[in-house]
This record gives sequence, structure tokens and C-alpha cells, in this order.
Amino acid sequence: MARHKKSKAEEEADPDLDISSLIDVCFLLLIYFLVTSTIIPRETDLGMSLPAAAPSTEQPKIEPMFIRVDAAGTIYSGVGAGQQQLDSNAGDRNVPLLDSQLDLYAAAARSADSKPLVQVYVDPGAKQQRVIDVLNALAGAKITSVTFTDLVE
Amino acid sequence: MASKKLRRSTSGDDDEAKVDMSPMIDMVFLLLIFFIVNATAIIVQTDPDVLPPVAKNSKRQEDGRGRIVINVREDGTYTAENFNVVLADDKDIFDLVKIEKEKYEALGIEPKLHLRGDQDAVFKFSRTAIRAAAQAGVDQVIFAVYQTHKGLRKEKK
Repeated sequence: MARHKKSKAEEEADPDLDISSLIDVCFLLLIYFLVTSTIIPRETDLGMSLPAAAPSTEQPKIEPMFIRVDAAGTIYSGVGAGQQQLDSNAGDRNVPLLDSQLDLYAAAARSADSKPLVQVYVDPGAKQQRVIDVLNALAGAKITSVTFTDLVE
Repeated sequence: MASKKLRRSTSGDDDEAKVDMSPMIDMVFLLLIFFIVNATAIIVQTDPDVLPPVAKNSKRQEDGRGRIVINVREDGTYTAENFNVVLADDKDIFDLVKIEKEKYEALGIEPKLHLRGDQDAVFKFSRTAIRAAAQAGVDQVIFAVYQTHKGLRKEKK
């Protein structure tokens, strides 16, 4: 009788499973994935509307701004005698001079109640990165419509 | 005889060895949510030979519909979204854009050119692609860029 009671008491004690190691491993994996997943950057969009020199029906109220990028990556604004050299360091992703010109131009265009018009002439030998720098500055000035022109001067 | 064995086995089943599953389920949910948040739907297939330039005013890729992908490699080779398809010249780009444009317009989606130009490619290659797309009637251009130069691979594969 007493023997039987003893064995029953032994069976009632639940076997414990230590899950703390499982949680440790899970945290380790979580941290591993958190750290590795930040390494690969994702591509983003720089959207532009490039009307292909379509003849406009209405006369623009404001003179278009002309930007030129030469093969070495120097940026110029204006045409002819009024041409100014802006940022010339092609290795720098910041174009402060172009930014300030574009801000002035965009503000002038908006006060004249007109859409800012920008024409960009890019030398065929200019690097894609430099053109993107200009487009990035345009996006920063909230100008999303650009024409790429083949004309110089 | 047999009843003794039977009794023992049934009495063993009465008090089951319980494993508390709730922390494991917690962890699994946590991992699941982490991956859902962290994952990005693949917007376009990317050609590993093209390393796009950097532009900090760029926006996150959201809408993957209507994108006609043209990759411009550093040496001026053009490839389609499936980067094993090499487009020989502007005629091939024009044909591709035209076919894709008609396909998207039939679905009521506005077609856009998704131009993945390599940062060191000269711009004349990109301009050829832009012009060919414009001739085919697509003038919305999305330049594929990176937001920062941080963490970018230095070499092309």
C-alpha cells in the first residue's frame, strides 16, 4: 500500500524543461539578423518628368534657367556672356552654389505664378553621377520637370 | 498479466510532461514581425553590374507598377530588367519600351522608364536610352539611385 503511494507521488512532480537557453539562442539570432540586415542599402527613386522638347502651347511667363555640365563635371548656369561657373568639384556630392541659384530661381518663378523651367545641357562625356547631382539639386528645389537640351550657347 | 502493463502505461499518460510553449511562440512571432517589417518587396530586379549613383533627395521606391527597366552599365552596354537580355542599340530600347508601354497602357497603368545607370558611365549612354524611350512615348523617367553612400559596395560584381 505504502509502496504504491510513493510511486504515485514521484509521478506527480512535473519534469521541468529549461527554456532559457532557447530564448538565449533566439535573441542571438535576432541580434545577428538585425546587424546583418542593415548592411545592404536599398535603391531609391529620383523621378523626373522629361518632356522631350515638346512644343508648348502657352508662352512661358518666366525665362527658363539654363544649366550646363561639362565633361569634367563643372556646373555652369546661364548662357552666353551671363554664364557663371558654379560648383566645380566633381567628387563632392554637395552643390551649394547650384542649390542657392536654384532656390532663387524657383522662388522667383513661383512669385511670378509660373512653373520653374530648367534646361540642362550635359556634355556627352560627363559622368552619370554628376548629372544625378544636378537632378538631386533640382529635386531639392522641388523642380520635377526638366528638359535635356542638345544646344550649347 | 497484460493488465499490469496496461495500467502502468495509462497511469503514465495521466500526468503529462508539459512543455511551456508560450515563450517560444513569443519569439517566433517577434522574428516573424521583424522580418515582415524589414522585408521590402522586390520592386525591380537589379543588374549586379550596375552601381547606381547617390542622391540624397531621392524617395523610397513604392509603386513597382509600370516600370520599364533599362540598365546602363559602365561600358555602355544596355540590358533589360532580366539582365541577361542585352539590348544592342537604341532601336532595341525603342522596341522594348514600345512593347512594354502598350502592355502597361492596356492595363491602365502609366508607363515609366526606370533607368539604372552606373555612376561611372558617361551620360551619353543614358541620354540615348532616354531619347529612345521618349520616341516610344515614355517621358516619365525614374533614375535609380542610392540615398547615401554609406554601406555601398565598392566594386561591381
